[in-house]
Amino acid sequence: MSNTAYINNIEHQFKDDETILGFVRRIIGEKLIPTLCDSPNLDPFGSCRICSVDVALEKDGPTKVMASCHTPITNGMFVYPSSESIKELRKNIMELVLTDHPLDCLTCEVNGNCELQDVAAQVGIREVRYPEGENHLDRTKDLSHPYMTSDLSKCINCYRCVRACDEVQGEFVLSMAGRGFDSQIVKGSNQSFMESDCVSCGACSQACPTSAISDIFQSKAVQVEETTRTVCTYCGVGCNLEVATSNGEILSIQAPYEAEANSGHTCLKGRYAFKFYNHPDRLDSPMIKRNGEFENVSWDEAYNHIASELTRIKASSGPDAIAGISSARTPNEENYLMQKFIRAVVGTNNIDCCARVCHSPTALGMQRSFGTGAATNSIEDLDHAQFILVVGANPTDAHPVTGAKIKQRMMKGVPSIVIDPRRIELAKYATYHLQLKPGTNVALLNMMLYYIIEAGAEDAKFIANRTEGYEEMKKEVLRLDMDELSKVTGVEKDLVKEAALAYAASKAAMEFHGLGVTEHFQGTFTVQLIADLVMITGNIGIKGAGMNPLRGQNNVQGAADMGAQPHQGAGYLDVTDPEVNSRYNAYYGVSEVPSHVGYKIPEMFDAAISGDLKAMWIIGEDVVQTDPNTNKVIAAMENLELLVVQELFMTETAMRATVVLPGASFLEKDGTFTNGERRIQRVNKVVEPIPGCKVDGQIIVDIMNKMGYSQEDYTGPSVLEEVAGIVPFFKGATWEGLGDNGLQWPVLEDGTDTQMLHIEDFKRGKGKFYFYNYEKSREVERHEKEFPYIITTNRELEHYNCGAMTRRTGNVDILTEDVLLIHPKDAAKEGITDGDFVCVESPRGKVDIKAVLTDEMKEGILSSTFHFPEIMLNIITSDEHCTEAMCPEYKVVSCRIRKSKGKPKMVAEASV
Amino acid sequence: MSKNLSELSGRKGLEDNLFDRMGKLAERDGAPDTAELDKLAEEFLVGSANTYGTTTFYDFLKPENKGKKAYVCNGTACVCAGTQEKVKEELANHLTEDEIGHMTCLGRCHENSAFNYGGQNYSGSAIDEVASIITKKDGTQDAYKVESFKYTILTEEFSSIDDYYASFRATLKRDSAEVLENIKLSNVRGRGGAGFPMGLKLGFCRNVESDTKFIICNADEGDPGAYSDRYLLEQRPHSVLYGMLIAGYVTHANYGVLYIRAEYPDSATIIERELELLRAAGLIGKNIDGSGFDFDFKVIRAQGSYICGEETALINSIEGQRPEVRVRPPYPAEQGLFNKPTIVNNVETLASLHYIIEQGGAAWKAIGTERSSGTKLVCLDSFFNKPGIYEVEMGTPMSTVINDMGGGFKSPVKAMQIGGPLGGLVPVSKINDLNLDFESFAENGFLMGHASIICVPESMPMIDFLEHLFDFAAYESCGKCFPCRLGTKRGHELLRKANSSDYKISKKLFDDLLNTLEEGSLCAHGGGIPLPVKNALNYFEDEMKSYFE
Repeated sequence: MSNTAYINNIEHQFKDDETILGFVRRIIGEKLIPTLCDSPNLDPFGSCRICSVDVALEKDGPTKVMASCHTPITNGMFVYPSSESIKELRKNIMELVLTDHPLDCLTCEVNGNCELQDVAAQVGIREVRYPEGENHLDRTKDLSHPYMTSDLSKCINCYRCVRACDEVQGEFVLSMAGRGFDSQIVKGSNQSFMESDCVSCGACSQACPTSAISDIFQSKAVQVEETTRTVCTYCGVGCNLEVATSNGEILSIQAPYEAEANSGHTCLKGRYAFKFYNHPDRLDSPMIKRNGEFENVSWDEAYNHIASELTRIKASSGPDAIAGISSARTPNEENYLMQKFIRAVVGTNNIDCCARVCHSPTALGMQRSFGTGAATNSIEDLDHAQFILVVGANPTDAHPVTGAKIKQRMMKGVPSIVIDPRRIELAKYATYHLQLKPGTNVALLNMMLYYIIEAGAEDAKFIANRTEGYEEMKKEVLRLDMDELSKVTGVEKDLVKEAALAYAASKAAMEFHGLGVTEHFQGTFTVQLIADLVMITGNIGIKGAGMNPLRGQNNVQGAADMGAQPHQGAGYLDVTDPEVNSRYNAYYGVSEVPSHVGYKIPEMFDAAISGDLKAMWIIGEDVVQTDPNTNKVIAAMENLELLVVQELFMTETAMRATVVLPGASFLEKDGTFTNGERRIQRVNKVVEPIPGCKVDGQIIVDIMNKMGYSQEDYTGPSVLEEVAGIVPFFKGATWEGLGDNGLQWPVLEDGTDTQMLHIEDFKRGKGKFYFYNYEKSREVERHEKEFPYIITTNRELEHYNCGAMTRRTGNVDILTEDVLLIHPKDAAKEGITDGDFVCVESPRGKVDIKAVLTDEMKEGILSSTFHFPEIMLNIITSDEHCTEAMCPEYKVVSCRIRKSKGKPKMVAEASV
Repeated sequence: MSKNLSELSGRKGLEDNLFDRMGKLAERDGAPDTAELDKLAEEFLVGSANTYGTTTFYDFLKPENKGKKAYVCNGTACVCAGTQEKVKEELANHLTEDEIGHMTCLGRCHENSAFNYGGQNYSGSAIDEVASIITKKDGTQDAYKVESFKYTILTEEFSSIDDYYASFRATLKRDSAEVLENIKLSNVRGRGGAGFPMGLKLGFCRNVESDTKFIICNADEGDPGAYSDRYLLEQRPHSVLYGMLIAGYVTHANYGVLYIRAEYPDSATIIERELELLRAAGLIGKNIDGSGFDFDFKVIRAQGSYICGEETALINSIEGQRPEVRVRPPYPAEQGLFNKPTIVNNVETLASLHYIIEQGGAAWKAIGTERSSGTKLVCLDSFFNKPGIYEVEMGTPMSTVINDMGGGFKSPVKAMQIGGPLGGLVPVSKINDLNLDFESFAENGFLMGHASIICVPESMPMIDFLEHLFDFAAYESCGKCFPCRLGTKRGHELLRKANSSDYKISKKLFDDLLNTLEEGSLCAHGGGIPLPVKNALNYFEDEMKSYFE
């Protein structure tokens, strides 16, 4: 009989590729074989030898000691995991370990939660017989970093931190130095955490079995009363977090190993940037602005004021004079309620969310090509991908856990293309970096299509069976002039050809894209051309492939799913379709939901300035700091009669509100977030909202009731039930059924979920090919003579968007300001040196910002971020938009630069 | 053993090798500059922790090596011969203490007093002329006796490249599977110590599908007392290169790496010189002799670490990783250098292939015993009347080797370390019980290893020898596995304490320590040290018991 082995002479079946350790743990339990260097998310390493077992080839036959963690179990093995001699061996190894470990357990940070302590107890060690010898107990602590700490006197040299830094994060900040007895952990070239290239992901701290590497939150200490599993509020990866609390206060956060979305990993935002939640700056009372000053008011007074203003405006100017911006940071349930409030209670389709300014072209473009505007595959597919294509995304900064997974695959030799104007981190590991000029995605993708078609490298069978419109597209593409496009993109045509053919040759190529695709004048077209590329090579509907937008905000997928957009209601149903509207009317219990498409965010601003829009309600979005052309946004805000802002902090937008309502953070509420792979995950309340605040969903419910619509009080599960009744792909989603790891939509009535879309057919039937020719960005076309540089905006790992949250955490000590990245040659030409303040001026305005010289962009291209209100970089960005989806063109801004005159604005003084 | 680091290092291929580059950065000052290491890390994308971590591992790259000019051999043979105090003193007359380091075994065990100055090795009476050496900087090629008995195979005179490689050219016309069968038939076993059948290993590698495979010649087996590898590399280099070409042909590997000890500077120079001759003769490169077989070589100079003789540590070393021992599986034949299928063979094992190819596997098999076939090179140290290298048929009585070939001992000897520090410690009383083959040694509780002999003189207290042995073991431990990293250190401390004070070691504790090392260690370094120690405790109980409770 195959796959049979024995534990203490009892027969068991083992699985293929199982180690002895895995086998014994699966059959007998986790505890029987103690280990120190083993860790659930790391490869077997074999250093501690504590997991040794006796192995014989016949029953009670002669045995050999083998380390169970790295020895495969094979047919007919007799394993004796706890023989007397093995117990002795483990005890003897532990005794050696304790000859070089402080015996100060009672005062140790991890007392009670220390793996070394557990193993010592398990093996029953009672004394250390060796006379005192050389040791490393005098090593000093490293307290240099805002989050990471180390006390290497506690280190047992298990290498788990080194391996976590390598195998999980892929950063190589940690290694061992020296050899033998003197070997010790080093950060960088023997630096402190702060001096090193550490990205503060905390994987090493979580991996460390003792307190040798830890964090300032002492996340392994045992003062915890309760742990709550929830989902991160930052990016669209949707990391599961385990939040430890005591006395209603959050102590620390770890990443659960069994979480499907993040398998025990997360980044410094998820793990450490939570202290904003009870920051003194939190808004804690409703406020009404009177005579230019905010006054604290009661909730009732605020509600009455809002309700009467909305009623007045609706009566005088009609419901379309009112608009709402829902928040992609808040749960599905709150988004659903917000759009319901705007549509069913106010009576307008003027509802949008920040998807407008990030992935609206993705949703629209993919709907046009496939019928569904969401990631086709799952992140887990990366393990099966044989090729990776990253277009206009910088995942190691913006989606760190997915970024780390992509990097791991690239490092292991999976061939790859990065299309990006910057030499982002992944570009260094990629096989091909196509470093195009900002705004030329369409030209570059057409080149790739051209070369694939020219070489006959397309997947003819897939094209024939699954698609339409191919011949028309092909005809147009083959007419293009590659030399001309090469000039337009600034990328050698031979390089494009080689990359395109390598992509086409792969059996399973996985595509990822980000805002470098969407935030363009031709954003939607770019998405459609990527869809062309995916379809022409048959890279969809199969494992390890697909088209996978990296959704920016934690619930931007969900916000759109819930209908926080002006043309589609909950579940992407067309708001102009009478049949759909009769369904909505029946479900919402109203006579008539509006049936004409409402304003998109940029249109709201225009309407506010023209006076057509008189009231806005914005939840958790700082449009002033983050939407382009700040001065225009401010003008819009200031022209409104009523601006209600639900916020955690007094943001640049909140400052301009007429009514401010203090909302609750993700840690203070229930609901669900839907991550970038369509995974609906439960957000569980960790702590009560800080005094004075309310759960945002309840605020909306309150105002709905105030305005005469009967909506029951907010709870995550009850609203989810309501959502499941109207959103077709949520049909089988129940609070209980979601479980710890959530479900990927569509969730069928029986609770079955969907890891991959478009396996047999596309949502729209056949996949549709489109052709679009490159058109120069209007911004550049109009302004390039006067404003010869292009600045493209990006994100930094440490901060999230407007930074309202991350700037109120230790992250601000790691990254203190926005800077201008400038090529050394450009800097030389303009007389700018590293650290100088530079005046960057666009047709909209100017900002002063500190220069950092780098050749990661080509000459003529600048790059910066807008995390800090002290800079307000969006003063210079334009309100050019994607012609189809109205997503702003943040990525291509014409500007000119000069060294700042006079005393530069000091960022440090202004920082929080 | 980071798979990521293996891949990243492998991206640049062998030509632009990370470890090689680290070595070059150390050439000027004896250790690389941190800023330069950071740059190297950036270029190879491996992180500065790794370039720093790797370089601090090696004797000749670590920061402490900066400014060293001379190195005194502290290998077991020189230590037992008692010649090194004088060497140190002489050198100290000309150099400061900081300028003198140590090297572990320069392979001058036949005459001792070995030291390295300015990258050249010296031994014997050279120490009397330190002043002129410092001005001339001219190395001395030492002379030692090389003899064969009955069979002259490994020690056969080299004729010419044309002549020597004629059989290789002929082999290229033969089916490689058939060539491999011939090697299997010979039953040649690895000469590095473990005695694994070479043909089987080649077969494993051959059967793994991969477009890239490597043949590595492990010329970094730094066992004190064994200078036969040095002999082959310097005096019979083509026997090694020939063997690598054949190994490449039968496994479909296209690259050969010679990883040569830093302590043998001449070996690397000579191999590089001979490789140029081979290239000129059209025996290296693409499509050799129109056969479709491509093969090229890379010489890598080691940087001073005994553990690099362990094959997986050696692979890590070439990759520029810390040379820590990897877990198996995967075995190198499946996933070795740069995660590609790799053969690692000892110098002498590779050198045996010329005879097997020319005379047939059966001819080799016919020599020696049933399970230990062929001949073996045995090195005898300066305690013998006739020190030198002897080619001996497997199965030959050790008494013949010691008394007839070596001419017996010059001065009283109480024991012999045979097969290196991880081999056994054989009391002279056991000489008549042993034959030169794997089985005879194993049956008697010893290990043949590479079979070279270092004598422990009567005058040397056994505890001194054991202290030296544990010192060596602790110094050379890679530090990866707990038992070896901690156990060798504590073992050394226990012996030193007992030897230098009235401290008595608990017998139970010492036994526990030896068992922990033997059973618990990841590789044969920690696992092998207990054997000679146990031999000593067993055969020299009277002498040792005063140190124990």
